[in-house]
Amino acid sequence: MKGTILRGSLSGGLEVRLDIGENIEEIKVGTFCVVEGRTHDFFSMVVDEDIEAANPRAFYENLSDNPLLNEIIRGTGIIDKVKIQPMIAINREESRIQPVKSIPSYLSVVREAQEEDVFKIFGRPDRTHFYVGTPLDMDHIPVCIDLKRFIERSNGIFGKSGTGKTFYTRLMLCGMIKSGLCNILVFDMHSEYGWEGEDEDETRKKAKGLKQLFGSKVAIFTLDPESSRNRGVHPDFVVEIPYRSIEAEDIAMVWEELNLNPTALEVIYVLQKHLGQDWLHTFLNMDAFAIKDFADNTGSHEGALQALQRKLFKLQRLPFIKENPADDAVERIMQYLDSGMNVVLEFGHQRSMLAYMLVANILTRRIHELYVKRSEKALGGTRENNIPLVIVIEEAHKFLSPDMSRQTIFGMIAREMRKYNVTLLVVDQRPSGIDPEVHSQLGTKIVALLTEEKDIESVLSGVNNARMLRNVLASLDTKQQAIILGHAVPMPVVIRTRTYDETFYRDITRDDGGNRSRPTSAMGHSAGSSSLPGADQQEEEPSGKEFEDLMKELYGK
Amino acid sequence: MAIGEVIESTTAEFTAEARRYDRIPAYGSFVKVRDGNILVYGIVSGAYTGSMDGLSKAKAFFKSLDELKLEQPQIFELLRTEFSCVVVGYEEGGRYHPYYPPTHLGLHLPVEEADDLEVLTISQHLSYLDKTLNSPSGSGEELTAAVIRTAARLQPDPRTYIIKAGRELLRMMNYDTQRLKSVFERVDAV
Ligand SMILES: Nc1ncnc2c1ncn2[C@@H]1O[C@H](COP(=O)(O)OP(=O)(O)OP(=O)(O)O)[C@@H](O)[C@H]1O
Ligand SMILES: [Mg+2]
Repeated sequence: MKGTILRGSLSGGLEVRLDIGENIEEIKVGTFCVVEGRTHDFFSMVVDEDIEAANPRAFYENLSDNPLLNEIIRGTGIIDKVKIQPMIAINREESRIQPVKSIPSYLSVVREAQEEDVFKIFGRPDRTHFYVGTPLDMDHIPVCIDLKRFIERSNGIFGKSGTGKTFYTRLMLCGMIKSGLCNILVFDMHSEYGWEGEDEDETRKKAKGLKQLFGSKVAIFTLDPESSRNRGVHPDFVVEIPYRSIEAEDIAMVWEELNLNPTALEVIYVLQKHLGQDWLHTFLNMDAFAIKDFADNTGSHEGALQALQRKLFKLQRLPFIKENPADDAVERIMQYLDSGMNVVLEFGHQRSMLAYMLVANILTRRIHELYVKRSEKALGGTRENNIPLVIVIEEAHKFLSPDMSRQTIFGMIAREMRKYNVTLLVVDQRPSGIDPEVHSQLGTKIVALLTEEKDIESVLSGVNNARMLRNVLASLDTKQQAIILGHAVPMPVVIRTRTYDETFYRDITRDDGGNRSRPTSAMGHSAGSSSLPGADQQEEEPSGKEFEDLMKELYGK
Repeated sequence: MAIGEVIESTTAEFTAEARRYDRIPAYGSFVKVRDGNILVYGIVSGAYTGSMDGLSKAKAFFKSLDELKLEQPQIFELLRTEFSCVVVGYEEGGRYHPYYPPTHLGLHLPVEEADDLEVLTISQHLSYLDKTLNSPSGSGEELTAAVIRTAARLQPDPRTYIIKAGRELLRMMNYDTQRLKSVFERVDAV
């Protein structure tokens, strides 16, 4: 792509006139490009394209029968135009990343980004800069996510069904585990992260799970040991949930799944208040007389109690809820996390929303409590394990809907950011179902194709230049393309995501502490790695307070 | 060899009388006139043949040309031809300048045809198109098409040259594609 700045504004983006001979058909929306202004480079994204006539009458002239005339007019009388949105600027002299506060001057040259540009902005791959993919049409240049920043906030992975959310999640989990910057707890609804998952790709068929890649760094917990064993998994621990750990709040969260009405919810809180920690078990074991008795004593409605009991019987059918479990799952999870391991909890056949939400909520609530205590102790001077925890949940809109997010632990975690060292990685195909307030708290979003208007709107809410990114989002490929925006990248960028295959397995399990491998398409593996710095080296990376301020300026908050 | 002599001159144009009434440079071709130490270049923009005195008209005989030459040879002696040229630039001290010379041409200077090399040099400066397009002698589009044909034939890559000239013209025409079309309908696709 080559062209010059034709016109534009700070608020509305820039229009680029393509040089004669450039083929607009080959320039995709989302392309990462650079405007070389007089003193600044403006790093930009192609957001729209159109055709303009210097003299509009030209459009109506019939030129199709005269190839010569046609060629004369293309590029002069009628020009191909690309609309770009500058995202950040670098003063060439100071070589410092700044928010865009001016526009490049008329006739500034526009070109495609090159490797050094990409490195300047996103950093070079190393231990904490995880190579997630390549810019559009630049298959040999790695784009990195700054993992340190990534884990500072809760994050989201969104996209329609089948766009690769599970694969992006795998990639990010691999990156985080490899970096050792945090521990991970995955509530793995479809049992696809721990051991092995499906791959629709005809030749690969299977996708390796975290345990296969990281061995002893990953523990597989299961709610359904039989299913795990049938899949050839040897779970490290079988999770059982005691009745007494189920609180009114947990039931309230799954009201939809249990078909509870608002009155029933009120009754639940009454039950808990009067019966204490064992309320659920006690209540489920009440006979008609006991219920009447309870109703009389507490002034509740007997009919409502009976109806509620019938509905809560559904819980008894969940095999992992036990009266007296052999072991405490939360303690075990903490034990593994504290020894530096990562935990994947498989649900096996227990993949109903009821089971998933109940378990995720109960475990997370208690784990979070422990982290809060630790943080407070740490403030008090006691040194404790302070490695941040990232909790992965799917179908996040169920947990974080506007109704729910204020009351649930997940809404709380998303809101309090990393105050207590716990953050979320939410995976969802229907981001519009998530509370807008939670959206605005998400640090980094990896967004694959979305087609519903309201979904697009919700992921872009609170993002600078959102209007411009709409087109980009709606025109992503159905697979392996995503836009990354937010806290962990200095500017939004469209990438072709790294392929989760043998090459990736090799890279991520290599012992060099980093993900140094170059994208493979162009030059194969080792080529170029000599030009890359080793792990931990972070030159050219704006750091410290200055960078913090910049990011604040770029993204607000 | 001179093919004509300047008989009228302005800054933008000059008129020459042809040495022979039936031998004149082609419409849209390049000519040159030496005037002291400068060499002025022009493009032939029109021609006229009529009676010597310029007042009376030649008379029709309704015979074939061959018969006429045998029977009435003297009538050809009474004919004269003039051709007009637009000034496009000049050469001085080995350098070509694509604009009017400081002074207009003197009269009675001999007019010669420009050679191919000269045409190649001049035609690199597309500003000549502006002079032909706005030629005072009438159809600018016709003349521009003719000179593009002349110049293109000599180029190593005529098609590229025509396209380049076309783009320049379109700008000069304020992106009036209709007008551009009327020029290029007269340029044969190469
Ligand atoms: N990074 C990648 N590497 C390799 N294959 C990928 C990648 N991204 C997507 N795919 C392909 O796309 C298919 C669908 O991806 P995936 O299962 O992750 O979609 P999803 O968004 O999680 O869908 P669902 O909403 O149904 O869970 C995969 O089976 C795989 O073939
Ligand atoms: Mg999935």
